[in-house]
Amino acid sequence: MGLIARIIENAGISTICIVSLKPIAEQIRPPRTLHLAWPFGHPLGEPGNRIQQLAVLHAALQALATAQPGQILEPGWRWRREQYTLPEGWG
Amino acid sequence: MTDDWRKRSLKELYRLTGQIFSQIPELARLWGGAYQALNFADVPFTPLRKPLYECRLALITTGGVHRRDQEPFDMSDPHGDATYRRIPASTTLHELTITHDYYDHSDADRDLNILFPLELVRHLVNRGIIGSLADSYGFMGHIEPPHLNTLIQQTAPEVATFLKQDRVDAVLLTPG
Repeated sequence: MGLIARIIENAGISTICIVSLKPIAEQIRPPRTLHLAWPFGHPLGEPGNRIQQLAVLHAALQALATAQPGQILEPGWRWRREQYTLPEGWG
Repeated sequence: MTDDWRKRSLKELYRLTGQIFSQIPELARLWGGAYQALNFADVPFTPLRKPLYECRLALITTGGVHRRDQEPFDMSDPHGDATYRRIPASTTLHELTITHDYYDHSDADRDLNILFPLELVRHLVNRGIIGSLADSYGFMGHIEPPHLNTLIQQTAPEVATFLKQDRVDAVLLTPG
């Protein structure tokens, strides 16, 4: 996935990757990465938990504008043990 | 015959490790640390030039997402499938399905937004938070040589070209 991001970024389009495995991102070095140490198949969280999904989406979209080249952002959100708040104006 | 057997056992191994990694993330991280296939020193970078409310966004997932009326990804080849499926911006979630045996996608089958947030992005476009949604693309992750070359040389650049033609400003990529 990071390889695809690198190719798209090279073509002049900004990318953000959500990953669950930090070591791979450290090697492939996607342009911008949001790392959440969550189970495979759940990049935006749990089914039906819309506030969590929107919180992840918000962090990812924000990173598009704010992350430094190659930066891996880590909100540190634990799997199933966090309270999320709806991003302002996203309701 | 031997090749067939090897293909089948390799595929079975990937399916099993994928299922196990889905349950035990610590194990997956150990495996990830041992993954030394590619290493880059440089980072390509294109700064985002517009505010989000003017951006045209596309989604890409390597979780094996495609429309039900499209050909499924080839799960019979243990080295993966480097092809992609174009997912038009107007596609609804119930028109989509997942073909990928190497991770547990039962939760994503129930709510695809956790993997491919098409509905969430459309909601944000309607709210004026994101400019617009472009056609998106589904890949199948787990691509090994020789198909890795096809991805790097052919299919990923093809998608990049389509995204440029479609005037996409930003892409969100999600794994399986």
